[in-house]
Amino acid sequence: MIGASLRRGIKTLASRKIYIVMMVIVPLVSAFFFLNLMNEGLPLKVPSGMVDLDRSSMSRSVARNLRATELIEISGEYDNFNDALDKVRGGEIFGFFYIPRDFQKDALAGRTPTLSYYSNMTVFVPGTLSFKGFKTIAVTTMGGVVKTTLVSAGIGDDTAGSLLQPVVVQDHPMGNPWTNYSIYLSNSFIPCTLALLVMLVTAFSICHEIKTGSSVQWVATAGGRMWIALIGKLLPQTAVFSAVGIAMQGILYGFLHFPLNNHPMHIITAMILLVIACQAFAVGVCEIVPNLRLSLSICSLTGILSFSIAAFSFPVPQMYGAVGIFSYIVPIRYYFLIYIDQALNGIPIYFSRYYYAALLGFLLLPAVGLNRLKRHALNPVYVP
Amino acid sequence: MFPKKIRPMKITTWFKSLFEVWRREFRLVFTDAGVMLFFFALPLVYPLVYTIIYNPEIVTDIPIVVVDHARTSDSRQLARMFDDTQSIKVASYAADLEEARRAMREKKCYGILEIPSDYSKRLGNGDQAVVAFYDEMSLLLRYRAFMSAMTDIQLELGQQITMQRVSTGGLLTSDLAANGMPVKNEAFFLGDPTQGFASFIMPGIVVLILQQSMILGIAMLAGNAAERRRRNRGYDPLAVDASPVVTVLGRTLCYVIIYLPMSYYILTMVPAIFALPHVGSAADYMPFIFAMLVASAMLGQSIAVFITERETSMLVIVFTSVFFLFLSGLTWPRYAMNPFWTAVADCIPATWGVEGIIRILANGADISEVSRYYVNEWILAAIYFVTAVILARFLSPRLAKTTPPAKNA
Repeated sequence: MIGASLRRGIKTLASRKIYIVMMVIVPLVSAFFFLNLMNEGLPLKVPSGMVDLDRSSMSRSVARNLRATELIEISGEYDNFNDALDKVRGGEIFGFFYIPRDFQKDALAGRTPTLSYYSNMTVFVPGTLSFKGFKTIAVTTMGGVVKTTLVSAGIGDDTAGSLLQPVVVQDHPMGNPWTNYSIYLSNSFIPCTLALLVMLVTAFSICHEIKTGSSVQWVATAGGRMWIALIGKLLPQTAVFSAVGIAMQGILYGFLHFPLNNHPMHIITAMILLVIACQAFAVGVCEIVPNLRLSLSICSLTGILSFSIAAFSFPVPQMYGAVGIFSYIVPIRYYFLIYIDQALNGIPIYFSRYYYAALLGFLLLPAVGLNRLKRHALNPVYVP
Repeated sequence: MFPKKIRPMKITTWFKSLFEVWRREFRLVFTDAGVMLFFFALPLVYPLVYTIIYNPEIVTDIPIVVVDHARTSDSRQLARMFDDTQSIKVASYAADLEEARRAMREKKCYGILEIPSDYSKRLGNGDQAVVAFYDEMSLLLRYRAFMSAMTDIQLELGQQITMQRVSTGGLLTSDLAANGMPVKNEAFFLGDPTQGFASFIMPGIVVLILQQSMILGIAMLAGNAAERRRRNRGYDPLAVDASPVVTVLGRTLCYVIIYLPMSYYILTMVPAIFALPHVGSAADYMPFIFAMLVASAMLGQSIAVFITERETSMLVIVFTSVFFLFLSGLTWPRYAMNPFWTAVADCIPATWGVEGIIRILANGADISEVSRYYVNEWILAAIYFVTAVILARFLSPRLAKTTPPAKNA
């Protein structure tokens, strides 16, 4: 019985190109896409501008420092504030540094001139990086001026240094000391794309049988037992998706050496459980709406929303409570939490126990509506 | 380009058949719940859902644990300064790093501040004191919040202590003591001055929603037509017999007319509801989005030729949204892409749409300032118009050849 069902499941997979495309090609291409796109890790050299109205030796030294920073690249010098702002609006630069007229004179005379810098936060990452670059230069310049004043007043160089920065906060970014953006984004977006595809393919393969009416034969092959029919259909897909998922992890952690600070089996298990949980989720959807278009719509909707609601960028505790709880209805959220614990931070698996359990818990979902799905599979009515 | 057949056609007839295509397409849209879902429900609801998710905008009060080896009034003051920042909250104190680490593993905190035992001593001696901060790196936004809090504290503390030292030590000089630092610096944030997350991501996302929902709808309509043809031996009873040029133009007219009000809602009302950045004027963003809608409609029709089944459209189009989001440069800036991906991104209407619309909405650019994006949008529209016509002519079955012109709908 189960053998015949499995054979039928494998045959279906081989029958149409779309399965190969959606299960193997698209996931691997998407992994390549993300990793190749963000190959650099950090989008350094933010195109920026500067406006130097002072044109003194001091302002030129600021300009030299600006050019030497890796965070920004001065791609244009402008004669006035408005020109620079126009370039920001036009998208050519992401920010600019502004040195006012008589800067050097005022600084040395103690008239406290102001260095200002403008970052376009409309685009988050370049905006933030240019801000960081500008701020570093502004602070260094400030320090340089103070130091000159102090030293000229007869204080030793060393003393002047500790006078300037009496407290240093040493930053230790744990697990990602390079602050590599690809580590943030690839580790979440690649598995989430896979999760989306698993849900779509699962819903498609089940409801397509109902649409074409072949579902009667599908259930019959399993001897009328719905769960055998489902296993026969989905187990081959589980195998393919898991293999693809593990291949992705192989690229991430093996080939590109992204942080994997615990035993690889921990994250591999999580991947297999993610695939199964997503399949169970999609089966649950099909049981509620055994209609090809609607179930695909719901799976697309949740799959796409997962990228936001699973909180890869905006933390759940900051979301509105009523919104944040939805984070926990999508399987990828638990995979993401396991990834943080097991791969990035490498803490004992004990701390991730609930996340593994939750992924397993999704398996209970299909049990609820098995009979309903069977009823629809045996009386297939196609509603467009 | 024009097929021979319509060359002698009178201009009135041409417009008549254009109108006919447009009317038929309108009817097909409004009689199909699936297409309506894409054309109306998606652009209406998705922007609201996304904004609600991100509407808290900024990350505040992230719990950290303090390991204070010094236990002096100076070190307590430092911890208080961390607590005072907008983004950090001191959740508790830990006896040693091990205990703090345990709290982090249990997700009770996302950062650890360790103050060394000689903190006050070094400060008193006029030396440099070094404290350590450990960040949990799972989320970029948290790290960013920590970083900016740290820089601010370092600067503020530096100024306070320096001032104190200079004046108490009698080192010098009226200038420093009286006026503080001889140079000030000031940061300005353009576009999204609150640095909120919804304010950053929404103006771009909505453009993608417009393009993707339109392409999904067009693909589904094409899937329907393909299924009708299969049922009727290659003949689609609901198709209007018109040249490919007229068909493509008529359909585009239909989609764009539906999407203009949707765009107005998305670009004017949604930002107003959630107080998102909105300094642009409708006279700038509506013409811009019009160009993007035309380009998307043409792209959709070029893709639609390959769709053979109603539902496969969803399968093959939904996941592209994620790619397009990244290619648009919203999350990963365009200047950091390699030439290959830049070239791919150049071919997508939403790329230019995102670039232009965010600058109009958030930076207050007018359409002349984003003219290069606007021009690119029309170039794409022209290219995809040509591909849609060519593909429609050579790939989809020509109706007129196989069947008599049918007027029965």
